[in-house]
Amino acid sequence: MKERFRALDKRLLWVLLMLIALGTLTLYSAGRNTSQANIWLKQSLWNGLGLGLILLLATTDPRRLFRYSFPAYLLGLLALMAVLVVGKKIGGSTRWFVIAGQTFQPSELMKWVTLLYLSQRLGSRPAETVGRLELLGAVGLVVFPMLLIQRQPDLGMALSFLPILLIIPLMKGLKARWIIALILFISVGGFTAWKFVLKPYQKQRVMIFLDPSSDLQGKGYQVNQSRIAIGSGGLIGKGFTSGSQTQLNFLPVKTTDFAFSVWAEERGFIGVLLALGLFGLLLDRIIDAARAAHTNAEAYFCAGAAGIFALHLLVNVGMVAGALPNKGMVLPFFSAGGSSTLSFFLALGLIMGSLHRSRVK
Amino acid sequence: MDPRQRPLLRRRLEVLRAFTWSLVAVLILVYALLQIVRHAEFKQIAMQQAVKVRPIAAPRGLVLDRSGQRLVDNRRALHLVIQREDLPSKPEVMSQLAAALELDPAALARKIQSYRLAGKGRPLVLKENLDEAGIAVAERVRSRFPFLSVEVAPRRVYLGDELAGHILGYVGEVDEPLMKAKPDLFHLGETIGKEGFEASGNDKLKGVDGQKRILVDQLGTEVANFGQVDATAGRSIYLTLDAGLQKIAQEAMGEEAGAVVVLDLRDGGVLAMYSSPSYDPNLFLNRLSQDMVDKYLANNLTRPMVNRPIQGIYAPGSTFKLLIALAALEKGIATPQTAIFCGGKKNYYGRDFRCDKASGHGTLSMVQAIAQSCDVYFYELASRLDIDDIHATAEKYGLTERTGIDLPQEKRTRIPSRAWKKKAAPRDPKWYAGETISVGIGQGAVGVTPIGLARFYALLATKGKLLTPHLFYGFRNDQSNQLEAAAYPPPKDTPLDPKHWATLDEGLAEVVQNGTAAANPFIREIAKLVPFSGKTGTAQVATFVDKAHYARQAKFLKDHALFAGYAPRDKPQIAYAVVVENAGFGSTAAAPVAAKLVKYWFVDRLKNPLPPPRGKLVDPFLPPPAPAVPE
Repeated sequence: MKERFRALDKRLLWVLLMLIALGTLTLYSAGRNTSQANIWLKQSLWNGLGLGLILLLATTDPRRLFRYSFPAYLLGLLALMAVLVVGKKIGGSTRWFVIAGQTFQPSELMKWVTLLYLSQRLGSRPAETVGRLELLGAVGLVVFPMLLIQRQPDLGMALSFLPILLIIPLMKGLKARWIIALILFISVGGFTAWKFVLKPYQKQRVMIFLDPSSDLQGKGYQVNQSRIAIGSGGLIGKGFTSGSQTQLNFLPVKTTDFAFSVWAEERGFIGVLLALGLFGLLLDRIIDAARAAHTNAEAYFCAGAAGIFALHLLVNVGMVAGALPNKGMVLPFFSAGGSSTLSFFLALGLIMGSLHRSRVK
Repeated sequence: MDPRQRPLLRRRLEVLRAFTWSLVAVLILVYALLQIVRHAEFKQIAMQQAVKVRPIAAPRGLVLDRSGQRLVDNRRALHLVIQREDLPSKPEVMSQLAAALELDPAALARKIQSYRLAGKGRPLVLKENLDEAGIAVAERVRSRFPFLSVEVAPRRVYLGDELAGHILGYVGEVDEPLMKAKPDLFHLGETIGKEGFEASGNDKLKGVDGQKRILVDQLGTEVANFGQVDATAGRSIYLTLDAGLQKIAQEAMGEEAGAVVVLDLRDGGVLAMYSSPSYDPNLFLNRLSQDMVDKYLANNLTRPMVNRPIQGIYAPGSTFKLLIALAALEKGIATPQTAIFCGGKKNYYGRDFRCDKASGHGTLSMVQAIAQSCDVYFYELASRLDIDDIHATAEKYGLTERTGIDLPQEKRTRIPSRAWKKKAAPRDPKWYAGETISVGIGQGAVGVTPIGLARFYALLATKGKLLTPHLFYGFRNDQSNQLEAAAYPPPKDTPLDPKHWATLDEGLAEVVQNGTAAANPFIREIAKLVPFSGKTGTAQVATFVDKAHYARQAKFLKDHALFAGYAPRDKPQIAYAVVVENAGFGSTAAAPVAAKLVKYWFVDRLKNPLPPPRGKLVDPFLPPPAPAVPE
């Protein structure tokens, strides 16, 4: 046991524990005086289980897990198909299995399984030996579960698979200016199209096409209240459990999608700086892990994980501030939820394992 | 591990690292914009939606009769409202709301629009005075539209229904034009008096609205109260009116149209004032109901909304003869002893003017002429007077001005003069002497309000004091529940010669003792109990060839019956004027009404007072037991 503790990467661990603490405080405040008053306890249970998982995986050679990635991927595809048939329908989409009264969302885990499988598949050989057809096949392996998930429908989840494709530029390289050009093209072009070219009803159609369950009016209200919460928090915030937007229920779904707004309202810009700084350090350390990794597969996995975490951060934190369209994507450590928490910790466990191995060598 | 690939991979990972940090930086910028640059703006919005200032409606004062009987009471009513800051902005929400409440969407939109344009104020009332079913509906609708709320507000109840509708008037929401004209005085949604004393006494009756600052959650539920300024209830008011006498007036008028006014000779207080047909002010509290429209407003020939005592202009008929006599005495063209022969008719300026008694009265003195109501006698006096003399006398004794009663929209009595004719008939501005003859018996261009007539007879009763009729008696002292009598408008003295007065007084007494009114056995009976004075009048509405012809005529062409006078004769306490429209002779239709008033006031009232008006009495200054469900 002592061995295992020593195996943990302390820098990553501290950042993790800090983020868990922030998230727990946020959920305590968000659930206060509502039917979800105990949600912080429940989430602490998941966090505890997750930390146990990390402890377990920290001394495990990641390659042992890579070995099971293909069967796991197949199993995951089966689960995604099964959930469409026997899954529980909540709020217009079928995403959940119900097992012993507990809901479980297979797509959360599938994201990491896909990353694992692809890292293993593409990272087990020198990069230059991987042909274009194989790369195309790899893209197909990512897109297929995405399509299944979009059938649920769950656009946010489907989109969160995209960072897996980061592996390809890592392997084959992509001139930095191409990346910048691509990002610029997508952001500027997308922004221009969205703001100036598309008419409101067209935007609505696009949104409805992508996500039929989206209700722009309802979510518009939510984002508006979230912006009020964030903005009114100011520099130092309104104080723990003293956010009017949170405590008077103006802020919607505050224990999941909008949990970060609770933090921003009650802890202010200083709290936001702290949280975003911690997320930055988390991503930084994961990229360190990728750099230090012994095998390409591990490096790819860590880099992909950094991409997935970064996307969740960007979409959730950007969305609650109204800077990005409203797509339900949870924020790790802040949004309550069992499946997503365990999945995030599973990935972090693998990263811990990789870091440990790179140090021990 | 492929050693050739390492540096490449590392470089690519550094790009990823740079990218993630810049992402964090962008997010920080986004939050800096919201939390620092735009903080003030969002802070205000957060405050606005959580901290609300809600007005607390102040109950208006009660209205009591002179003995403290309630005429207007307050109950608690529930209204379905939208607070100003919660008004929906989306048209589709409004139309859904209209459908849910079964309101006309266009009307609701207009209402919301005009409400939105106006300044601060009370919440917008969507449905008022909810009954049990209404509350159930409101709660159901509220679950879909959480911005609605149910508000408890005081509500007026007019006891006695039609007993004093015109006097009390009713309240309603302030109109837009009035609010725009005086934005400092009135605010939107405020309840103000619309008619009657509720309107003229609005400033006396209204309280001061309070307000509270509360913290609300997203559903608008009050979470915390940051403090409130309580509403101050309006003070309760005593009217000079006597509910019992008013009741007698109402019963005496029955189905007949007309007006009754009884004045207190001590101060000019109005003891009774009934306009028939009356209306029930309770019906005006809700928005126009079809019942009410049918009953009062839609082409009703009896015009129940006209407050006849102060707005009805009637030819005074023979009740005007007292003024002619006074003018003649003052002008010196006649003395009490002046004897004039009545042969049933007399010719002036080539036209026959007939007396009511076709066979003629013979030779009469002034007192006899008043008692017998001889037309020829007064034709003759009028022929010796100039119309401007008559007008000057009327002016001297206050008959040409409004009485100044504290009710809205009093009409002015019309006493013709040359100047008046010029103005009123610019095509034929000349005054013809023949017109003066008609004025001599209170016909022609003369028109008086019953209140004006009563005031003139009050002047005769008080030997020349010009009173100002009024309804405001005083405020109720909230500690002792006793009247704090207010100063009444001081009476003006007029130069009425006691000798002239004595003649008129004797004439008026003779009318009841031996004159035109004495023929009625009921009058004789009452006069035995309480010797009272008065003058009958029968004002022509249309001219007929003969009496048989008249008898066949439709009711609305028949003469108006009048009676005006005072009682008791020797030490007068009250003055009265009664008009019964299209009822025939003053002696048979109007004088009995006055006799009933006299009998009640001086005999029955002292024996057994009437029971209080119907209705449960609730003191608005005490918390009511439970939210009342309006009947």
